[in-house]
Amino acid sequence: MASKRTQTIDEEVPQTMMNRLPASFKPRPRRAHQLDQTAGPGSPSKHELSADALIIGRGSAADLKVDSDDVSRTHAQLLRIDDEYTIEDLDSRNGVFLNGLQVHAAVLRDGDQLQLGDVVFTYNEGS
Amino acid sequence: MGFFVRFWGVRGSIPTPGPRTRRYGGNTSCIEMRSDSTVLIFDAGTGLRELGVSLMRNPPKEGLDLHLFLSHPHWDHIQGFPFFGPAYLKNTTLTVYGSEKNENYQLLSGQMSNAYFPVAFKDLSARIVPKAFVDDEVQAGDFVVKRFEQKHPGGSAGFRVEHGGHACVYATDSELDLMLVDPHGPTKSPRTLRRLPSPLVLPMKNADLLIADAQYTDEEYPAKVGWGHARSNTVVDLAIQAGVKQLALTHHDPMQSDRDVDAKVLTASERARSIGAELEVFGAREGVTLRLDRG
Repeated sequence: MASKRTQTIDEEVPQTMMNRLPASFKPRPRRAHQLDQTAGPGSPSKHELSADALIIGRGSAADLKVDSDDVSRTHAQLLRIDDEYTIEDLDSRNGVFLNGLQVHAAVLRDGDQLQLGDVVFTYNEGS
Repeated sequence: MGFFVRFWGVRGSIPTPGPRTRRYGGNTSCIEMRSDSTVLIFDAGTGLRELGVSLMRNPPKEGLDLHLFLSHPHWDHIQGFPFFGPAYLKNTTLTVYGSEKNENYQLLSGQMSNAYFPVAFKDLSARIVPKAFVDDEVQAGDFVVKRFEQKHPGGSAGFRVEHGGHACVYATDSELDLMLVDPHGPTKSPRTLRRLPSPLVLPMKNADLLIADAQYTDEEYPAKVGWGHARSNTVVDLAIQAGVKQLALTHHDPMQSDRDVDAKVLTASERARSIGAELEVFGAREGVTLRLDRG
């Protein structure tokens, strides 16, 4: 009986073993980036981010609606570029604060705290 | 209108990518200031590469018209230039500002000699134009840029940038502690305001935002005297004397992790508070844009 050898996913690829993945390899399921609302009307709540662009606000055009008078109708926009989300202030009345600093825009990082009026989110990076 | 400031590279000395610097970023010096019609670039460290990528996403039909100012030609301030995409586009105009001799232009091009890089400066497709300051002032689009000398090995320039009644000062690579009115002050009485001479304070006067080299903490500095960089507490004192509204600490030391920068910013903020100043201090961070003409 022939000796058993390790199976590979792509038996056709010749030469370097570096290009071969073990048969047991399964890509880890991706966890989406997420905004966790921790303060303000509607908190606590979690919002998975999957769209390339979405609006945060209290108006009907908002994708992520927040029922607070401190939040403008279209307060801020989240844009995904190269799988990173950037928040941008859409000329809101009360501004966007990143870890306490008022910003016009910012590429978000894990653990960032965003404040829009009395509404606070924590950004959790997916994997 | 609009006066936007974006940080593309905030690290000093050498690029420092990796998980320890992910939040503040590991790219070397590059700051973008823009209005609705003009784009200014300060320093061409490795952050410039990503600025180039961003500019090329939606370039105007008539081509990019960019204005580049270099604080000085040390590596961490020019290294991104050979990888700046818009320099390879035929319809880009890039004006490089400097002194009458414009050594910056020469040194920028010198790093692309073929001993260092495969593409020669003369083969770049963009129209690259040297332009000199006249009496340390120049009009660049709808901005006025004023230049001032700083204390750094080989020299460096700081810039006061004005637009629509607002001002931003970019002052990196400046060893403030070598210019203190009382050089022994910080040792004798560390909590007392460290006075700096008026000619140094003047260019920062009442700026909305001061982006300043704050590479070291008080504890790190004694081993780095003469290396050309400031310690964060002295920068705070400079900002207070100048009546600055916001202070961005930049040129973070390559050895400083995100947590180290957090601690540096916290110490600097506490110093401002203890002196009783209404100064907002924060750590410059890649990917953050501020708007100075708001409110």
